Amino acid sequence: MRNYIIKRLIYSIIIAWGILTITFILLRVGPTSPVDRYILNIAARGQDVESVKQAIEARYGLNKPITEQYFSYMANLLQGNWGWSFSASMPVLELIGSHWIYSFQLILLATIFAIILGVGLGMLAAVKQNTKFDYAASIFSFIGISIPGFWLGLMLILVFAVYLGVFKTYYDTNYPIWSLENLKQLILPVMALGIGELAGYVRYTRSAMLDNLRKEFVTTARAKGLPERTVIGKHVLRNAILPLVTIIMFDLGSVVFGGAYLTEIVFGIPGLGQVSFNAIFANDYAVVVAVTLIGTFLVLFINLATDLLYTYLDPRIRYE
Amino acid sequence: MAAKTILEVKDLKTWFYTRRGIVKAVNGVSFTLDEGECLCLVGESGCGKSVTALSILRLFDSPPGKIVEGKVLYEGLDLTTCAMPLLRSIRGKDIAMVFQNAQSALNPVFTIGDQIEEQINTHMPHHDRNSRQKATALLEEMKIPEAAEALKMYPHQMSGGMKQRAMIAMGLSCDPRILIADEPTTAVDVTIRAQIIYILQELKARRNMSIIFITHDLSLVREIGDRAAVVYAGKVVEIAPVEHILNKPAHPYTIGLISCLPDISADLKRLPSIPGNTPNPIDIPSGCPFHPRCPSVMDICRTVEPEMLNISGVQIAACHLYDANVTGKR
Repeated sequence: MRNYIIKRLIYSIIIAWGILTITFILLRVGPTSPVDRYILNIAARGQDVESVKQAIEARYGLNKPITEQYFSYMANLLQGNWGWSFSASMPVLELIGSHWIYSFQLILLATIFAIILGVGLGMLAAVKQNTKFDYAASIFSFIGISIPGFWLGLMLILVFAVYLGVFKTYYDTNYPIWSLENLKQLILPVMALGIGELAGYVRYTRSAMLDNLRKEFVTTARAKGLPERTVIGKHVLRNAILPLVTIIMFDLGSVVFGGAYLTEIVFGIPGLGQVSFNAIFANDYAVVVAVTLIGTFLVLFINLATDLLYTYLDPRIRYE
Repeated sequence: MAAKTILEVKDLKTWFYTRRGIVKAVNGVSFTLDEGECLCLVGESGCGKSVTALSILRLFDSPPGKIVEGKVLYEGLDLTTCAMPLLRSIRGKDIAMVFQNAQSALNPVFTIGDQIEEQINTHMPHHDRNSRQKATALLEEMKIPEAAEALKMYPHQMSGGMKQRAMIAMGLSCDPRILIADEPTTAVDVTIRAQIIYILQELKARRNMSIIFITHDLSLVREIGDRAAVVYAGKVVEIAPVEHILNKPAHPYTIGLISCLPDISADLKRLPSIPGNTPNPIDIPSGCPFHPRCPSVMDICRTVEPEMLNISGVQIAACHLYDANVTGKR
């Protein structure tokens, strides 16, 4: 078991290194330079654009060959130096440190929302198979899966913030992060991010429950005189949860890398998605690479955690 | 036999409403079970014996299954209509079930100990809850070595025979008065089968427990049964003490079954069989359901369903051959 974990951690580092390298190269081979966004400022001050640009590039080592830049970036990274953000004029680590909590909170709340409601509705739909409730849940989840999160976000803002005025149309960063006011203004973003996942979980939970509801051990559980909530909530759910864990953990990766970015941008939440979105347009490669790297480690960690969770959930699974 | 009747099944009909039609899996089963008696339900695959067992505790899938007629009287209480909480308090406590395939009948993600103790904790009052000790004692009674360790095992860590014995231990955990054993020896090898039969015989004698033993194996009936009910097409066609069933069967179907028992001393080129197939439970033949395969079929058999007729006081069979009115007229 310990060997397995060590092996997986080594693999994770190799994968992360590969992704880091590809991201770095893709960002640096383009014809644009991080200095480009200052060109107008430089020109406005009446300075010579070309010479100032070259001076800045020389100052940050941007004129060196890309391989040299890559190796010096790697050397810095290994020493814990994540680089300098040109656009924010601060160390990358500091920038990330002041923004990660917004993303973390959004992803955490949306995931909890999706899991609790999705698994709950899915269980009910399975138990009430072929009833009106089941059909309604099916239609809801079909619609939920089909709607893109960013469009849903815009529609939620339009209806609840613009027409009904229940929420503000912008994200207010003045509230403390775990205050009630802040949680209230996260309701729409959490729904926009979570409903797609929720809809999927309803479907998956329903079918995983149905797969297990007809198993013989369920009849055994009933024959033992157990109340139905124990039969369903313990014997069936505990078996149905195995395929669900795979899907939920897998989805978490796409929430981290896809859904949360778009939701932050649509709602103006200053999380890492917003930071990396701005950094891409500013050619602020150190920030983009750093955010990508953090996401990569997160997904790799989630995968490892999933595999370890299996051994706990299913005693038949053991890793050598 | 002066023993008290503990369970009475009266004209029980359990039908399954499927897209292809109504599957009449149990179509008028009647029998009684005495205290301390082992009644065997015998029949071919698909004759309805398992569904009969499931119907006693209403354990079949519903929908599509439904008890359309009949009663299951346990100590005078009709289990087919009683309220669910009451039925639940009887399931696993007064009447316990042991299933055919312990591999799939045990939950793979819980330990054997968890699964046995869960049943004890459901039915026993709080002050009586030394469930771990009780579970250990049960496994020891089932002759499982190192019982305390075995409780911590998951089903997949046990051999087939151990699983089946653990399943029986679970059935016995609340000292039931009736144990329904649905082919408990089909999935195990011969030595384990002998062990299980021995355990059941011992339990019956020691605990004065009643057993409904479901099987298609007549040699097991000889070993364990007091009486046997032969089931054909969802009906009991003959019910009698085991020695009558085996030595002087009355119903042509029972006669057919007995004659199919291979005799080890005979030099046979081909095993005997009953011609024809078991009827499709969606489309059961009119009259006597056995008439298309019956060697002594009469005209009346095709149209009129035979009643259960008393043949010798303890032997009852549903066949027109024993109806004086019918045979007299012929």
